[in-house]
Amino acid sequence: MDLAFTPEELAFREEIRAWVRDNLPKDISDKVRNSIHLTRDDLQRWAKILGQKGWHGWGWPKQFGGPGWNAIQKHLFEEETALAGAPRVIPFGPVMVAPVIMAFGTPEQQKRFLPGIASGEVWWSQGYSEPGAGSDLASLKTRAERRGDKYIVNGQKTWTTLGQYGDWIFCLVRTSNEGKPQTGISFLLIDMKSPGITVRPIITMDGAHEVNEVFFDNVEVPADQLIGEENKGWTYAKYLLAHERTNIADVNRAKRELERLKRIAEAEGIYDDGRFRDQIALLEVGVIALEMMVLRVLSAEKSGKQSLDVAGLLKIRGSEIQQRYSELMMLAAGPAAVPLKKELVEAGWQPDQAAAAFVAPLAGTYFNMRKTTIYGGSNEVQRNIVAQTVLGS
Amino acid sequence: MDFDFSDDQEMLRDTVRRWVERGYDFERRRGIVAAGGFSREAWREIADLGICGLQVPEAQGGLGLGPVDAMVVLEELGRGLVLEPYAAVALVATSILRAAHEAAAAPRLEHIAQGSEIVVLAHEERRSRYRLAHVETAAHGSAHAWRVSGTKIVVPAGGKASAFIVPARVSGEVDDAAGIGLFLVAPGQPGVEVRPYPTQDGASAADLVMHEAGAIELIAPGAAFAALELAADVGIAALCAEAVGAMDKLLAITVEYMNTRKQFGAPIASFQALRHRIADVKMQLELARSMSYYATLKLGEEPAARRRALAQAKVQLGESMRFVGQQCIQLHGGIGVTDEYAASHYFKRLTMIEMTFGDTLYQLGEVSRRMQTTAGVFA
Repeated sequence: MDLAFTPEELAFREEIRAWVRDNLPKDISDKVRNSIHLTRDDLQRWAKILGQKGWHGWGWPKQFGGPGWNAIQKHLFEEETALAGAPRVIPFGPVMVAPVIMAFGTPEQQKRFLPGIASGEVWWSQGYSEPGAGSDLASLKTRAERRGDKYIVNGQKTWTTLGQYGDWIFCLVRTSNEGKPQTGISFLLIDMKSPGITVRPIITMDGAHEVNEVFFDNVEVPADQLIGEENKGWTYAKYLLAHERTNIADVNRAKRELERLKRIAEAEGIYDDGRFRDQIALLEVGVIALEMMVLRVLSAEKSGKQSLDVAGLLKIRGSEIQQRYSELMMLAAGPAAVPLKKELVEAGWQPDQAAAAFVAPLAGTYFNMRKTTIYGGSNEVQRNIVAQTVLGS
Repeated sequence: MDFDFSDDQEMLRDTVRRWVERGYDFERRRGIVAAGGFSREAWREIADLGICGLQVPEAQGGLGLGPVDAMVVLEELGRGLVLEPYAAVALVATSILRAAHEAAAAPRLEHIAQGSEIVVLAHEERRSRYRLAHVETAAHGSAHAWRVSGTKIVVPAGGKASAFIVPARVSGEVDDAAGIGLFLVAPGQPGVEVRPYPTQDGASAADLVMHEAGAIELIAPGAAFAALELAADVGIAALCAEAVGAMDKLLAITVEYMNTRKQFGAPIASFQALRHRIADVKMQLELARSMSYYATLKLGEEPAARRRALAQAKVQLGESMRFVGQQCIQLHGGIGVTDEYAASHYFKRLTMIEMTFGDTLYQLGEVSRRMQTTAGVFA
């Protein structure tokens, strides 16, 4: 048992650190460090910079053009980019649909879709949730009917994150009503420029346009865009969830934001207030415990010696911590967090306001973070899963 | 970075676990509690496992092993709520003796390794409230003729100890760390009174009242406080590991109960309110286990980083122990509050661990005071 990274791992980290220092655009990291909304261009620029280096699919094996890193290397990459203030890579393409295409797609599908994801040029969205299918995802109703070499898709998806930018969307659709709800679901890749698709914004309580409704009205989808077998989509979706493991805790961003919280508290003159400082200290303990839990999972993956089934715990704790730091940042600003200054959050990045106490976005970020305990399987659903494992019944 | 245990460590774990499961069952433990919370026979058996000298240098007949080995042993002792003061003697006192003047310390270390001596740290005072530098006990003298006066409280297994390691003030104000020396005080001499009593968790402790008691200097002022602080951190890491073992076992007991106890015609494990509670218990246990590893692996850091890390660990453990202890009692319902059933004994031990070497609020203050801009496992 040893906490230290190996010399090779440290050298790897240095390599990543130097590359990020030289390649992450400062205007983007300035926005990230101050919770200013990122534009499509900001996100796309960073995705393409990563793509050119071959790191947009940083978790990919070499056979599909990825770097072939192990669990620790992936973690170090995620850590270095997060600490440097890089935007979180939009996961739908490289982290979510790509592994499914690699595992279950045909060679033709792999050739057709993976390069655009690897280069960061094609923007993918996720079509899972529906108005009537949230935590109970298997009850989804969006229907795909096979007609010749096409599927005809009708229905509605919702909470589609950044769907307004999407080029393609991967969807769970119902192809059968036979048997259990899970058994009649298929996994379809759909071009968002197809006739019959309408994207409508949902404005969240922070005033942001981050999520959307996507409507499908007799949308024709070529049958060669079905992944794997018809009615096996639930299996692929579960594979996808299992693929997203430690990164779900987002502990690297939590470390960065904890530092920012301290800077804000200091600038607001409250860092030396014992009662407030103790709250930060308690959060710091939480962040370190979460990081240790993540490292335990990575170590177990690397050695294959222990099995650690704590993905649900990482999701629960990681989201709670995100909510807590965003809340403390807002409270640190106090009355200065009250004014709604939309223009400062949207496009209003002004270099002269680059002080740590750039407080305009803080309340909005706190509002926005309420989503974290709801999405990706609500924390209550995660508790069901953890309980099942613990109780064995 | 690697959190696997070596084959030797797995063997060590098996050895201790087997003894706890077969040799220290709940009925035997109950008998030991009734007899005052310490059994010479059990202590002899622990010594026969070969672990009393775990961290005693090989030159003094020990194994010279490290913090991870200690963690492994303590997790297993915690599982069985072993009452005998293993960590206090084999880890905490040993840590100080290893840094002490050799002439005084070497024989003690040899005897600890053999299991023939019980040397314990007597540091807590009525007004110190976990602050190690707050020492009212005074020492005067020089060379081989030291005299110590003052009162130490809640000394682990104090009534059975063959010697006490006593922090005493040689100079300075009441909270001046630099004026503290560490002394060896033997019981059974004029000016030393040991007042033993049982503790809430069934073990034994004692108050140590000294009036011009004869003492040997172990570590002189200057270096003494650093050794004392290290020993306390060694103690914290041991408590963290013990707590993880105890919580792990308490969770297992609770899960078994939930799957067998029926109400409203169904096992109570089928009720979602309780399922979510047990998921939260599991969360607190895994956070605690993570921070117990962290505590143990940070023991070798330089003092400031070590102190910060150990304080962080004790805060997490405090939060976890309170939650796991309270909720596992709650999940049992009425049977959980009885003396007859094991769960209450785990709860009591977890509660007493909180109040040893700094409770959660005290250690949170330490974390807060020592907080730096950057944070993280490697910060």
